[in-house]
Amino acid sequence: MAFLKITDLHASVGDKEILKGINLEIGRGEIHAVMGPNGAGKSTLSAILTGKPGYEVTSGTIEFMGRDLLAMKPEERAWAGIFMSFQYPIEIPGVSITNFMKTAINSKRKAEGLVPIKGGDFLKLMKEKMALVQMKPEFSKREVNVGFSGGEKKRNEIFQMAMLDPVLAILDETDSGLDVDALKIVADGVNALHTPEKSAIVITHYQKLLEYVRPDRVHVLKAGQIVADGGRELIDKIEKDGFEQF
Amino acid sequence: MGSSSSKEIDHGNYVSTPVPVPTGPAARVIIIDGSRSQEEYSFVVGEGEKLEETFVVLPGVSARIPVTVDLVGPGAEADLKGIYISDGTDEVTFDITMHHRAPGCTSHQLFNGLASGQSKCAFFGKIIVAPDAQKTEAYQENHNIVLSDEARVNTKPRLEIYADDVKCSHGATVGKLNEDEQFYMRSRGIPEDEAKVLQMISFVAPVLEGLEDEALASAIESAIRSLAK
Repeated sequence: MAFLKITDLHASVGDKEILKGINLEIGRGEIHAVMGPNGAGKSTLSAILTGKPGYEVTSGTIEFMGRDLLAMKPEERAWAGIFMSFQYPIEIPGVSITNFMKTAINSKRKAEGLVPIKGGDFLKLMKEKMALVQMKPEFSKREVNVGFSGGEKKRNEIFQMAMLDPVLAILDETDSGLDVDALKIVADGVNALHTPEKSAIVITHYQKLLEYVRPDRVHVLKAGQIVADGGRELIDKIEKDGFEQF
Repeated sequence: MGSSSSKEIDHGNYVSTPVPVPTGPAARVIIIDGSRSQEEYSFVVGEGEKLEETFVVLPGVSARIPVTVDLVGPGAEADLKGIYISDGTDEVTFDITMHHRAPGCTSHQLFNGLASGQSKCAFFGKIIVAPDAQKTEAYQENHNIVLSDEARVNTKPRLEIYADDVKCSHGATVGKLNEDEQFYMRSRGIPEDEAKVLQMISFVAPVLEGLEDEALASAIESAIRSLAK
């Protein structure tokens, strides 16, 4: 059974075909980087993996741990262990981080037939995971992403990832808009959460994050297709000669 | 959230005077049910007094709610709030007239509405500032979320200002629940209905702020849950 297997995936937004036959297989425990220039279809790929409305899969399949991923709702994908760190995290006015995370965790527990998490256990978990990404405790009362700096938003993404403990993390341009210090904190968080049972897809068009989060495999996405696969040597090749060579 | 308009009128160099200690009756909640659908609400607020009223209309109620406030004594204050949640074929209309008749009075209005089904909601809010009601501060906000294609909302703020040293503003919005927020929540494992409930609760929360009425909060939450389905 494949952990994640994308087969001949074609996807459109409106009338425009963005993904033109993607094939990608990710094993359990592996970190894969998907690199590519702007407009290659990187964000569309992450949108399709997480079930974002407005994207239409016209053909192809995605199998995730033996299930048909494309038949699952976004929340069902989250319960199955998929998490995406958003390129542009959304602000939710009026909803505190505490309330947001508690609702998220208890929704999953409910789906699994479990009773809600105990208040004390939840607060302990929050405290521990906030420390991991160096978020100040007062953020727990803040409205989700409202008034956060770019770096704070990305740290909040990794904090949520730590809280939800996914088996497949998708980092969509997590390095964009981060200074070196914030990048290091985010990368340390990602690395701390990585175990042999967990996989990650790091989507980026810079190599910077990949200096900290070391991928096992690298794929180049260009004009809606994977045009090159390889190991880390591919990162240096891109660094040296750009995406035009593919 | 959707279209919005707001207008600020600010004349002269206004310096706020100390707020008098409220001496009026404690904050009240008026729940509009079928038996009150014809009632008129009229309040006269005297010098140094403070009026605080919160109107609540839950699904299953059609009503026209005329509210008139007369601020007749210097330094009088009025704080009017409202939540209306309508569904089915409900028709809810607030018709508010805020008279600033004396100097140095302050009024705040905050009405937030959720309209679902084929319901029709309207908010007519008038602020009238009399010629000698200098140093008036009058604020009005009306925000609406339309949850279905058939629901209708009409919001009409109106200012009539005959004094020249006043601070008045009004803002009105009509929009939908934000789908990006919903997807973000769903991607964290919050089901779609629950995401909508969170959005709607946070939308009405500013109106309920300061009211510690658990029974009312839970009645509002269950009304909201019925709309999220």
